[in-house]
Amino acid sequence: MNTLIAIGAGIAVVTGLGAGIGIGIATGKACEGIARQPEAEGKIQKNLILGCALAEATAIYGFVIALMIIVMLQ
Amino acid sequence: MGSSLAEKLIEELNCETVFTIHLGSFEIPVMESVVVTWIVMAVLILIAIFLTRDLKTQNISKRQAFAELIYEKLTGIVGGMLGEEGKIYTGYLTTVLLYIGLSNIIGLFGFKSPTKDLNVTAALALMSIVLVEFAGIYQNGVKKWLHKFTEPVAIVTPFNILDVFTRPLSLCMRLFGNVLGAFVIMELLKIVCPPVIPAVFSLYFDLFDGLLQAYVFVFLTSLYIKEAVE
Repeated sequence: MNTLIAIGAGIAVVTGLGAGIGIGIATGKACEGIARQPEAEGKIQKNLILGCALAEATAIYGFVIALMIIVMLQ
Repeated sequence: MGSSLAEKLIEELNCETVFTIHLGSFEIPVMESVVVTWIVMAVLILIAIFLTRDLKTQNISKRQAFAELIYEKLTGIVGGMLGEEGKIYTGYLTTVLLYIGLSNIIGLFGFKSPTKDLNVTAALALMSIVLVEFAGIYQNGVKKWLHKFTEPVAIVTPFNILDVFTRPLSLCMRLFGNVLGAFVIMELLKIVCPPVIPAVFSLYFDLFDGLLQAYVFVFLTSLYIKEAVE
């Protein structure tokens, strides 16, 4: 049973994959944007933080689910 | 090690009752997060009283200059996010920003962060969504507020209604998950490599991430308000 719980929690945390790719792409594009237009840095930074927060949320959901699997099923 | 960590996690997830208030036949349990919230409130109120004592219009003291600087910066940040029409909500959102910010970093001083309790973040998220919907009704009237659910095309109405429920859920889970996640990672680091390394990571997870999450919470709420009042 414990092994199954561990596997389930591990699968739930795989959501981090998407968040990592998403934030990576967003940051890369933001860097490109700033290099092209240094004067727009403030606006780009603001939108980048918002986008990262939204993308990161999926990873957080995965983490919360994994934690709930561990805590509730034991 | 594994089972002790799991026990510790469960212990951290359950918010303990500190004491119970008896009101006739009613019993009101007071949670740990409520008591820490009182401490946060006391700190913020004391700082506010100290900074705003004997204000003058001329020959201002250094303390007043500092208070004005903080006020200008905070209302500048929050007001800028809210836009012209939502400016009246600046006060509330600045308060929430200060409260969540201090709650997240109060873990550094040995207290249990109130935001690590799901009930606290759920209450904050509920307050946010009530404010957002109220702002929409107050600005546009009930008719236009209802009509906004059918924009841009009629077929998205169910999704717009669903938004009312998913927004507070995501706000609540984001804050809770981030604070708890940072806490779990810090506990693991303290077990794996005790002496110096946790201190460095604590700077990122406790200080930077805590303040960033407070900013993100306020940012998203103001974004929703801005969308509702336009």
